[in-house]
Amino acid sequence: MSRLLLIAARNLLQHRGRTLMLGSAIALVTLLLVLLTSVSRGVQDTMLRAATTIATGHVNIAGFYKITSGQAAPVVTRYEPLVKWVRQEVPEARLVVDRLRGWGKLISPTASVQVGVRGVDIDAEPELARVLSIVQGDLRGLRRPNTALLFAKQAEKLAVRVGDTLTLSAPTVRGANNAVDVEVVAIARNLGLLSQFNIFAPKQTVREIYLLKRDTTGAIQLLLRDPSRAAGVAERLRAGLTRQGYRLLDAQAEPFWMKIPIVTREDWTGQKLDVTTWRDELAMLTWILTAFDTVTVVVVGILLVIIVIGVMNALWISIRERTREIGTLRAIGMGRGRVLLMFMLESGLLALGATTIGALLGVAGAHLLNAARIELSPGFAIFLMSDTLQLAVWPRAVVGAAALISGVITCFALYPAYRAARLRPVLALHDVG
Amino acid sequence: MPEPLSEPPSAERIVQLEGVRKDYRLGAVVVPALRALDLTISRGEFSAIAGPSGSGKTTLLNLIGCVDVATAGRVTVAGQETGQLSDRALTRLRLFQIGFIFQSFNLVPVLTALQNIEFPLLLQGGIGRAERHERVRALLARVGLGDHAEHRPGELSGGQRQRVAIARALVTRPALVLADEPTANLDSKTGGTIIELMQQLNEQDGTTFLFSTHDQQVIKHAHRVIRLVDGQIAA
Ligand SMILES: Nc1ncnc2c1ncn2[C@@H]1O[C@H](COP(=O)(O)OP(=O)(O)O)[C@@H](O)[C@H]1O
Ligand SMILES: [Mg+2]
Repeated sequence: MSRLLLIAARNLLQHRGRTLMLGSAIALVTLLLVLLTSVSRGVQDTMLRAATTIATGHVNIAGFYKITSGQAAPVVTRYEPLVKWVRQEVPEARLVVDRLRGWGKLISPTASVQVGVRGVDIDAEPELARVLSIVQGDLRGLRRPNTALLFAKQAEKLAVRVGDTLTLSAPTVRGANNAVDVEVVAIARNLGLLSQFNIFAPKQTVREIYLLKRDTTGAIQLLLRDPSRAAGVAERLRAGLTRQGYRLLDAQAEPFWMKIPIVTREDWTGQKLDVTTWRDELAMLTWILTAFDTVTVVVVGILLVIIVIGVMNALWISIRERTREIGTLRAIGMGRGRVLLMFMLESGLLALGATTIGALLGVAGAHLLNAARIELSPGFAIFLMSDTLQLAVWPRAVVGAAALISGVITCFALYPAYRAARLRPVLALHDVG
Repeated sequence: MPEPLSEPPSAERIVQLEGVRKDYRLGAVVVPALRALDLTISRGEFSAIAGPSGSGKTTLLNLIGCVDVATAGRVTVAGQETGQLSDRALTRLRLFQIGFIFQSFNLVPVLTALQNIEFPLLLQGGIGRAERHERVRALLARVGLGDHAEHRPGELSGGQRQRVAIARALVTRPALVLADEPTANLDSKTGGTIIELMQQLNEQDGTTFLFSTHDQQVIKHAHRVIRLVDGQIAA
């Protein structure tokens, strides 16, 4: 009934001071929630972009091959039919590629570093050209065998430039060390933590070092159109692979190299596959996101409690002030449901108006912070994989924040409103004398 | 003496009280406000309940107005026994059969005069906007506030507010209008015009009015005076 809405709106206007105070508090908490979720989302996006460039797909099919029960190589044998199957099985993937994974020592005349070696087919991964920012050399150099792409920090440490040759030495599955010479063809800008420990090389070069056959790869990596679907897709792949007769490792939220010693100790031989998500592969880093989100929940939770108390209190005052009015309306024939509705509309309008304003301010604030390009301290830069603070405004999170806060306020307003609805109509006639 | 069962429930009889008692409880203390009261109000009456403060006038009007129920006895309003009805049914009975005029006017402060008068029609539902406004405007004119439709209660004098309240009570064309000391918060001249207005509406439309007062000036307008003393009707 629109007249009840009018009464609610006018009562809010009538008590401008109270409305403004509560409204500002609600708006402020909404703003804060929007900003915090945008920071979290921004960090996640940046992390995800860097990580999916260097270390993982949104979903991966990897695994281990054990020649004897005491040795485990992080490889997938006879992977080509698998790739074909994955392409059919996961239509929401926008890219399915395979990469080899290795771990070795990169040696220059003056220094050496331990690095993960990512064996890529540069032509199959257009994404790389987009995300890596090359400071020296040319990414296409990786088309040639025995080449490597380094990150700036590594090049600095090894004191090499594009055109120099390095030795890559790695222990093979059978225990002996194998070494190849690689030419530095490109140097890319740092991408935080992961870029300190990884280089890119052509697939063929990695196979050579590890004496792997052509039908063997390290991992099949899927990039999804919507990364938030990763867990569901992984679940589906696990089920599908089991149905196909593949043996699978139990799901475990750890990067593949943490699993090597465990798998090595296990008593089986042959191939087992492992389906992981980017969150699993970055388990060492995603705790940052978890910690941040926890802080967000706690802070916003506490503020929400304060606000809910404020709103309930204001409603109690409003109901006490308007006891006679409520009694009158009940006396002239207004039902309890409508009294309830009248007060729910009052708090609902306040909550909706204030959260909308707060959400809009939050979005504006996020854009301002992005425009300000706030520098991160080096420690944070490594973990968050970005030099500047990046906020990502996610419409669903913004609407969700406003809806959540409105919803909570409305829920707690139910009780005072219910009590108002139970007021007896006889109160309208309580006059002295 | 109980009435013979053969007599049909008369359409002439809008209110009937039989052996009505009302006690208020204040903790352990029981305050008897009405004792063994019998009363009949017929359609078209213009009657006053008179009595000193504390004699039970408000209590009686509350029972007749279906905003409270008797401790014992039977209250029948518009053919319905109120002690048997749910809150929802009582609410409907009030909405469709009864109009209220209060001592303190009790208008909704954030609504205009027009919106206040229109409100019961909105609660009833089923009447189009055009007809609603026509009815409200006609009533506003009859109570002499044709120019004050858009004023809020805060912008009106006491007498004007009570006129709005009268219009609100009448807008649903109720069978019965109850007024608890409608002139008590007004000066005697304004109070006189309010009673005259009520009387006029009673004469023109035949609406039943039952009002309480302890003002002799007001009492003399009534066709019938019900005198209350200590919760009982005086002979
Ligand atoms: N809500 C109440 N609780 C307790 N006692 C009440 C209440 N309302 C009225 N009474 C008592 O009932 C008696 C009748 O009161 P009331 O009907 O208000 O009389 P009047 O309207 O004639 O002044 C008085 O003694 C009054 O104190
Ligand atoms: Mg009284």
